[in-house]
Amino acid sequence: MHGPSWPLGGSTQASALAQDWVIFTCGALGLAALVWGLIIFAAIRFRQTKNNPEPRTQNANNTALEIAWTIAPLVIVIGLFAYTYHIEAGVEALAADAPVRVSVTGFRWGWTFAYGGGPAITGNSLHPPELVLPVGETAAVTVTSSDVIHSFWIPDMLFKRDAVPGRTSTFDLTPNRLGTYIGRCGEFCGLNHALMTFTVRVVSPEDYARWRTYEATQ
Amino acid sequence: MIAPPERHDVLSWFTSTDHKRVGILYMGTSLLFLLVAGLLAMLIRTQLARPDATLLGPEAYNAVFTLHGTAMIFLVIAPFGFGLANYLIPLQIGAPDMAFPRLNATSFWIFLFGGLTVFAGAATNDGAAASGWTAYAPLSEITVSAGTGQDMWIVGVAMVSVASIAACVNFVTTAFVLRAPGMTMWRLPIFTWEMIATSLLVFMAFPSLTATLLLLFVDRHFGGHAFDPAYGGSPILYQHLFWFFGHPEVYVMILPYFGVISEVIATFSGRPIFGYTGMVLAAFAIAGLSMGVWAHHMFTTGAVNDPFFSFVSFLIAVPTGIKFFNWIGTMWGGSIRYTTAMWYALGFLMNFLLGGVTGVMVASPPVDFQARDSYFLVAHFHYTLGGGSFFALFAAIYYWWPKVFGWFLDERLGKIGFALTFLGFNLTFMPMFFMGLFGMSRRVFTYPNTGALPGLNLVASIGAAFMLAGAIVFIANVVVSARRKVPAGDNPWHGYTLEWATTSPPPEHNFDSLPPIRSSRPLWNVEHPEAPQPP
Repeated sequence: MHGPSWPLGGSTQASALAQDWVIFTCGALGLAALVWGLIIFAAIRFRQTKNNPEPRTQNANNTALEIAWTIAPLVIVIGLFAYTYHIEAGVEALAADAPVRVSVTGFRWGWTFAYGGGPAITGNSLHPPELVLPVGETAAVTVTSSDVIHSFWIPDMLFKRDAVPGRTSTFDLTPNRLGTYIGRCGEFCGLNHALMTFTVRVVSPEDYARWRTYEATQ
Repeated sequence: MIAPPERHDVLSWFTSTDHKRVGILYMGTSLLFLLVAGLLAMLIRTQLARPDATLLGPEAYNAVFTLHGTAMIFLVIAPFGFGLANYLIPLQIGAPDMAFPRLNATSFWIFLFGGLTVFAGAATNDGAAASGWTAYAPLSEITVSAGTGQDMWIVGVAMVSVASIAACVNFVTTAFVLRAPGMTMWRLPIFTWEMIATSLLVFMAFPSLTATLLLLFVDRHFGGHAFDPAYGGSPILYQHLFWFFGHPEVYVMILPYFGVISEVIATFSGRPIFGYTGMVLAAFAIAGLSMGVWAHHMFTTGAVNDPFFSFVSFLIAVPTGIKFFNWIGTMWGGSIRYTTAMWYALGFLMNFLLGGVTGVMVASPPVDFQARDSYFLVAHFHYTLGGGSFFALFAAIYYWWPKVFGWFLDERLGKIGFALTFLGFNLTFMPMFFMGLFGMSRRVFTYPNTGALPGLNLVASIGAAFMLAGAIVFIANVVVSARRKVPAGDNPWHGYTLEWATTSPPPEHNFDSLPPIRSSRPLWNVEHPEAPQPP
């Protein structure tokens, strides 16, 4: 487990999400750099000086230019939308029969991880619970809450899903790297929101099977 | 009818229906709330400078950020815009007052007491509201937040909501029916246009806020169960209702300042606003689209149609881009005078651009899955409303102060204040993009003492100290300038809109005489009688 820094990834969904981050960050900063450049150029070039004592022109219309800077951004955002739609569809796709099923219930201030046909792990802000998942296998994670709204967030995997009382919401998580990842509550839920953490331990399928057997005997 | 003699005693401020006085009251009150909200922000940054600070416990911290957000949104940024509109719309359209002067004064007093009601919650046994400015149910329900402070928050914000609707009824009616002869709609100054768009948004969005608050209050005290899943209610419904208001509200807090920036850049570049028609249409495009993006605040619920709300959110970038290009086009070919107001306008352009492009980022659900309710989002919206609206607010203060009071603010102190604020703002909020990406939730009173978070938070808190210094320089500027009272004259900046055609400050009836109005810049036509008349 590493301290908060650049997200490590760690799931197939996270790789797609990271791609979206890269494209959008480059796009955003690229366009911003262009416009910042224009602003700074205009701000310096057209400042009042001895050589530029008066405005050169009072003309303030250029229809062709205005149409161009309406159409160009429109094309760009349509392209960005197509890309984002593609990425999101992949991230939110649900496998027909995920080998691991976990029900996550958030509460003030902790979590319960209930495995289908298996153990339920509960922990709170003093003793954070651990979610154990096998690497390379898809886990169907269903989140809900028993009191206020929380959010199940694994920053390294670039994903969160809200835990809303009275409704369940399911997403697939396919870990692809061994390791322990920090998780935290991503929706303000009162007093100990800051301390409402958990860990996600991604282990080999053999270790996972052993852990399930061990938990079953507890 | 003979007007009663003008009164200047203290009591007259309580009874005045003069739009200029109401405007000054609105702006002055929101600046006082800004001072309080700013000091609350300093508490937040002091607490978060180190990971293990004990200045505030979690109860106090939650109340502090709730009041900071509530004040900035409901009591500072939007109402300062309303104050400006009160002061400026009649002057810009050549009218003697607002259409409904008494309603105007009423809306101010309801706003003031609404704000005080929210803050008075801090004096109750359980302290002020502490469920954030969004007050999501069920967190804000009586089962979880039992304190009277939450009730006072609900009542106070509802009062501000009603006051906002009343104020905007006045703006639209005034701009539609009280225009001077010759002041056609297509000659209105851009600021007035932006206030019309803002007001239409308020009409559509604020009733939803009032209804949400009413439902929440009924839930808390009369067993309404509107948001209680055990009785078929829904926390998701709360979010729909809240953001149906909440997203248009974002534009209620920025459109007036788009107007400010348009006026300031045009005046100090010595040019008409570039692409006037496009500028107006873009304002209404932004207003219209902003009614259809509310659920982009709900991507992580898994309960909404992400692609629809994502696409409409992306589309807002197009009219916003038009505005940016038009501002640059206004500077292009001008002769730019770098007054303090122009510096703040330039700061607005630089900061708001980053707020805008990161807005496109978080409108992509895959990005939002990480950014939502993290410090990335905190950075994003502070770049729009802090780096944007707040900078434009100060541009407005420096630009119209000589008109309102008849004397100048000191330009040298103004520029020092700008430099401190610009540096401090970026030092504070730039690191927050990284904090959020690295996994720091917003609304936390502490964070792990590992990785990059302690360093980034320390930088942010140092930046906040610079902003505080900038605020102190501004207050010093007001004090120093008030002693000197360097007279401004009628038109100190060489502006071409009608407010510069009367004295500074204007008489109670605003104008002794009006110049002929043949364009959106009547004073330019007076100055250049030889030039061909623009359409």
